[in-house]
Amino acid sequence: MPSGCCVDAALSRRRFLQTLTSGSGALLLCVSWPAASAILKGIGRRALAHGEVAVTAWVRITPDNEVTLVLSQGEIGQGISTTLPALLADELGADWSTVRLITAPFAPDFRNPRINFMFTGNSESIQSFHDLMRRTGAAAREMLVAAAARRWKVSPSTCTTRNSQVVHASSSRTLNFGAVAADAARLKVPQQPALRPQKELTLTGRALERVDVPAKVDGSAVFGIDVELPGMLNAAVRTGPAVGSQLTAMSEAAARASSGVVDVVRIANGVAVVADTYWNARRGLRALQPQFDPGPHADLDRKSLGALYRERLESGPFATPVKVGDAEGELARGSRVVTFDYENPFLAHATMEPMNCAADVSAQRCRVIAPTQGQELATYALSAALGMPPERIEVSRSPYIGGGFGRRLVPDVPVQAALISRAVGKPVKVIWDREEDIRRDLYRPATLVRMTARLDASGRPIAMKARVVSPTILLPVFPAIAPVLEQQGVDPSALEGMMEWIYDVPNRLVEFHLLKLPIPTSVLRTTGYGPNIFALESFIDELAHAAGVDAYQYRRTLLHGNPRARAVLDRAAELGQWNGSTAPHEGRGIAVTHAFGTYIAQVVHARVDDDAVKLSRVVSVVDPGRVLDPGIARQCIEGGTVFGIAGCKAEVTFEHGRAFPDNLNRLQLPHLAETPDLVTEFVDGGGELGGVGEVGPVTVTPAVANAIYSATGRRLRSMPVSRHGLRFT
Amino acid sequence: MTEFVLNVNGTPRVAEATPDTPLLWVLREQLGLKGTKFGCGVAACGACTVNIDGVAVRSCSFPVSAAGNRAITTVEGLSPDRSHVLQRAWIAEQVPQCGYCQSGMLMSANALLRAIASPSDAEIEAAITNICRCGTYTRVRKAIHRAAQLMKESQ
Repeated sequence: MPSGCCVDAALSRRRFLQTLTSGSGALLLCVSWPAASAILKGIGRRALAHGEVAVTAWVRITPDNEVTLVLSQGEIGQGISTTLPALLADELGADWSTVRLITAPFAPDFRNPRINFMFTGNSESIQSFHDLMRRTGAAAREMLVAAAARRWKVSPSTCTTRNSQVVHASSSRTLNFGAVAADAARLKVPQQPALRPQKELTLTGRALERVDVPAKVDGSAVFGIDVELPGMLNAAVRTGPAVGSQLTAMSEAAARASSGVVDVVRIANGVAVVADTYWNARRGLRALQPQFDPGPHADLDRKSLGALYRERLESGPFATPVKVGDAEGELARGSRVVTFDYENPFLAHATMEPMNCAADVSAQRCRVIAPTQGQELATYALSAALGMPPERIEVSRSPYIGGGFGRRLVPDVPVQAALISRAVGKPVKVIWDREEDIRRDLYRPATLVRMTARLDASGRPIAMKARVVSPTILLPVFPAIAPVLEQQGVDPSALEGMMEWIYDVPNRLVEFHLLKLPIPTSVLRTTGYGPNIFALESFIDELAHAAGVDAYQYRRTLLHGNPRARAVLDRAAELGQWNGSTAPHEGRGIAVTHAFGTYIAQVVHARVDDDAVKLSRVVSVVDPGRVLDPGIARQCIEGGTVFGIAGCKAEVTFEHGRAFPDNLNRLQLPHLAETPDLVTEFVDGGGELGGVGEVGPVTVTPAVANAIYSATGRRLRSMPVSRHGLRFT
Repeated sequence: MTEFVLNVNGTPRVAEATPDTPLLWVLREQLGLKGTKFGCGVAACGACTVNIDGVAVRSCSFPVSAAGNRAITTVEGLSPDRSHVLQRAWIAEQVPQCGYCQSGMLMSANALLRAIASPSDAEIEAAITNICRCGTYTRVRKAIHRAAQLMKESQ
């Protein structure tokens, strides 16, 4: 049989989004939303400060030489507010120690240039903005140089920039950027500016002090929850605790009599109490005693969900996004066929900063300040909800965001805040309590994956098949994809990690069932890679065992055609002392993958005493092509590792259609005491830049399962570990 | 509404609130000290940690009426200029990522160092039960050790 269709190329999520949003695809994006962006041009509607000149949309300079750079991407902890402006400043020749940063409004200039949409997520920021930042910085530099050279009557090629000055070295003359900014701004923006040679870059390739750290150690960082608008009220909300449950009764008079309460507002599936202070709103909500019906999904629980997933795993229907060679034929030959099922749990985002949003809506305009990852989608969602054209809607991002993990791409909270503000006719800040935050999450979906392989005489998989049952991941953050889900029955995000395997397997088949659930599901740090790589990297371990080969050596052999994957694997094995001796009850687990454009291999050291699992060490070796800031990249991998451990612990389950647990006292997130020693090393493998924000957790889950297997002989084919009577210590 | 005179960061501060109001919301909404964060409301995550008479207290579950004239210290009270040993150590180790839990982390660490000038790993693990979703824990540990060292050097 010829190697199958070209879906490999068509369905890689990034390529897919690019297709969808470029050329005629742009029409598709706009179908479900009012025509939006034509009016929002240039630097947006935010006025320039007094005397400030916008040299380009990204660079503003005052006469007294204050250089301000615009930050398109949200700082959700990943360090992007340092790395992106540093790239720009490096090319520009700005004095990094005095550069000022501002957060961008939604405007087309600040869209992700590869996807043509403004958002922070998918480990895209470096991958998509690196070239643009450098080009933008270089363009502004050339404009400033041209303006200065004209004034000096010298050739621009004899001038350079440094420390926010244009320098003419041969005559030792300098001009501040501020002195020539107005002239420069009148010049045409060069489309193909010359980039500085690598050796001239002083801010790239080394660990910078993060620009956001000082404000985060003295309490001055303004998060969404800290935003104040003049005359602002505060709202506490309660919606039905179960999926789809509706408000049936409340004591409105009691709430209105409560101290500070201004109004009681009905919202979708629930009610908001608006008061002078948030605490008074909370007290009012308590007095209100809202009652809810059980909702239409009261039969939804772990058991019924489990049965549903199983049934779909057996009977589909399935789309076939990957078909290379004749996997079915090979598997049908019967001998040495290995098959196992792997289960991933629902996970909550549980960002440390609970969902919140400040909104000020009148008949004429809507202004929202939110800790958001998705200003553009929020603009369209607000437009639809308010029946207001997008040009009257301004979605600003709070300077700091207390974690995102994908949750803040969804515009539900800005819409809720705007509707409450419109109802009371005043600016309102809505803050969800933690229970609301977890119950109204859009969870990382539970998935069920069946892996099947046939081994050849040497123990290598001659054919491998993956069957994935998953609800959507992408739809809530990219509604334009709805027709693809409907017509093709696939979700590109939920297939990540399955479309392209790093291993050499000649016959490959991937089947996908898009499970429709009433439980809302969406992107969470690792998206589809997390659940799929848990299945794949656990299964590869099982194949190694079946073949009687060491788990590291087995992977190494299968990676003979993939030198970058092999390099991180080898180094992780070395750093992780793979061949060292282990005491009784101790084990080592290994996993490797390619996700978000980056190669990662991890070795986990575990000790298991009865039910107690101690993770003592996690070694990560990461190749994102090139490391732009080794300090920040290391933070991302360290933090990502802990996030991955949380994914082995902190599941959300459903009882009577309701999510449990619903607060952090029961969610089982890892603490400092459980955190292993983290050893992280980077490899500059070359090629396109990859992301480091989400790749860290991807291999943790299988590496932990593989380590527990190594320590105990028990194979964990589902997470969290508590399902197997285990706990972390 | 009741009037409370609180001793916050060495200064008497007046707040009007119902007596059941958690100290967290008095600090944030009455006194404008927003460094102290709301995370869970059930004293589980530690984002709201302040020091009361030098002891780490989760202010989301501590009613303002219980404060009396005891000395309340918030992250804003550590120093006026980020010069506190913990702040210096936090910057040197580049601890924060999203930063939302860090005020609480700092105040938990401050109470720890007050009780134990040079804590062991085990003592740090026992004292720092705050949740950080970004996973800054290993740097928190390093920064506490560094702060202890700085404290020793400055004596």
